Amino acid sequence: MRRLAPPLLILAAVAMAALALAVGIGSVPIPPAALWAVLTGSGEPLHQTLVLELRAPRALAALAVGGLLAVAGALMQVLLRNPLADPYVLGLSGGAAVGALAAMLLGLGSALVSGAAFAGALLSTLLVFGLAHGTGSWTPTRLLLTGVVVASGWSALVTFMLAVGPTRQLPGMLYWLMGDLAYARSPWWALAALAAAVAVAVPLGRSLNVLARGPLQAAALGVAVRPLEWGIYVAASVLTAVAVTTAGSIGFVGLVVPHMLRLVLGNDQRLILPAAALAGGALLTLADVLARTLIAPEQLPVGVITAMLGVPLFLYLLHRSRG
Amino acid sequence: MARGRAAGLRAALAGSLAALALPLGALVPAHAGERCVEDDAGATVCLDEPAERIVALSPGAVELLFAAGAGDRVAAAVSHADYPPEAAELPRVGSYDRLDMEAILAQRPDLVVGWSSGNPSNQLERLDALEVPLYRSEPRELSDIPATLERLGRLAGTAEAAARAAADFRAEVDELAATYADREPVRVFYQIWADPVMTVNDEQIISESIRVCGGENVFGDLERLTPRLDEEAVLAADPEAIVSGGMGEADDSWLDAWRRYDSLQAVRAGNLFFVPPSTLQRPTPRLLEGTAELCRKLEQARR
Repeated sequence: MRRLAPPLLILAAVAMAALALAVGIGSVPIPPAALWAVLTGSGEPLHQTLVLELRAPRALAALAVGGLLAVAGALMQVLLRNPLADPYVLGLSGGAAVGALAAMLLGLGSALVSGAAFAGALLSTLLVFGLAHGTGSWTPTRLLLTGVVVASGWSALVTFMLAVGPTRQLPGMLYWLMGDLAYARSPWWALAALAAAVAVAVPLGRSLNVLARGPLQAAALGVAVRPLEWGIYVAASVLTAVAVTTAGSIGFVGLVVPHMLRLVLGNDQRLILPAAALAGGALLTLADVLARTLIAPEQLPVGVITAMLGVPLFLYLLHRSRG
Repeated sequence: MARGRAAGLRAALAGSLAALALPLGALVPAHAGERCVEDDAGATVCLDEPAERIVALSPGAVELLFAAGAGDRVAAAVSHADYPPEAAELPRVGSYDRLDMEAILAQRPDLVVGWSSGNPSNQLERLDALEVPLYRSEPRELSDIPATLERLGRLAGTAEAAARAAADFRAEVDELAATYADREPVRVFYQIWADPVMTVNDEQIISESIRVCGGENVFGDLERLTPRLDEEAVLAADPEAIVSGGMGEADDSWLDAWRRYDSLQAVRAGNLFFVPPSTLQRPTPRLLEGTAELCRKLEQARR
């Protein structure tokens, strides 16, 4: 374990720094002394509201959602043995989007929108599971194809709802689809899910490493392939569902963060999974700070920033890994 | 513009009256329910003191507040709140569909005027949770506009100015209706958007203006509030007049697309009319200007 500790410590420090930035920076400047006063339990009421009611919950939600998406993405890539896999590839975000948009069309409040998104995500998971399970043998290819086709179905429904939706609701619906931490209500579910996932997945890291090389090899080495694969599928789905329910379908983090980490740290799941939790969380937290403040008081969708930060970083790492 | 200046003057007058009344008001204990109004979401909004730091979350809310005599009590607004001209100088708190919560709270508002169908519902709920007094505005009929003026005036302590503005609005709408509503009906297609072609049904406030002017919305029976159409549907309905807004306050290019259809009665009779969209598409007192303009155009179509 000595080999694994340094990168994780560095990433943990980065994540803490990102959290500190997110709490310290906003469209209202708060001097460091006033910020310290708030954190130690005194300070002006306005500053207390800004830091404790607005910034801190949102920063923690960003950390948790980024971590969830990156871990879910890493798991999906192992499961499907496909580098293009991300948490949304099997249609889960589509199901969640259909649920959320339908709730918005019905004029339901934001708690019910979240609930409908979670229900949609679970429905999509069960649908893909049932269809891919079907009869006879299944392979990751079959799962992937089922998921991609179900995702297309959801996306058609989403387009339909956007087309018939009242004009005034369109911005809200589009922002949900782009992903937006302004929707985050409470970060605790997401943080708990993230902690639980990492705690369960890391001890299984050795089996995941073997599975990543191929199911035959894994079976030969005594790994129970089928239960492990379904376990990964269910775990990744639940993590993604929690993330999407908290903040809409934020793209990019789940696809690219695991790849970035593999380029730097190598493909050992015992390291990659906790590292993905920290790095994904840090990336999304930083991106959300920028989204809130870059053109404040106007607010940007966070998905724009994750891609703008992540694409050059990823291309640089890819380039460096060649030489 | 004349109306804008008048509203500004009223606001200034109301402000100085309020400044005189304030020390006296402070001596009188506040009676529960005295400064309470019901908002468009059916919630009761109560203030102990007249609101002095109001944040308006839609361009329409800004116009309504200024017209209600509370212009000098508006502390901040969302972007694109450009009317009356003084509003352009206000500090901004994001756009109506993405609010900057920090900027709103930093204004320490004693009243926020939100827009139920335009502002993100989760952000309005958050304001409620933070116990910021929130008035949710959603005028759907012409009669909602003077009613909103009166309610906002009550909350801002400018009830007198608001009552005058409301009475003016009602009187002028009544006058337009008395002049035009019973004239020979004109079948109207009102276009709110060009790509795709969009119109309004009879539940939308613009259709009420059309009825005041003695017009009849050819797509009034459609089910959706703002239906999307194809050009064939317009050709089939064959309106006697086509009225459109545009991308700007003087951009009538949307009408050009219809000129190639000689089969349309409106085209043959030259009844293609432009009405500046901000006067007809925002549910504010300026709707009166737009409605008066619309009535004149439809009268032209009758000749």
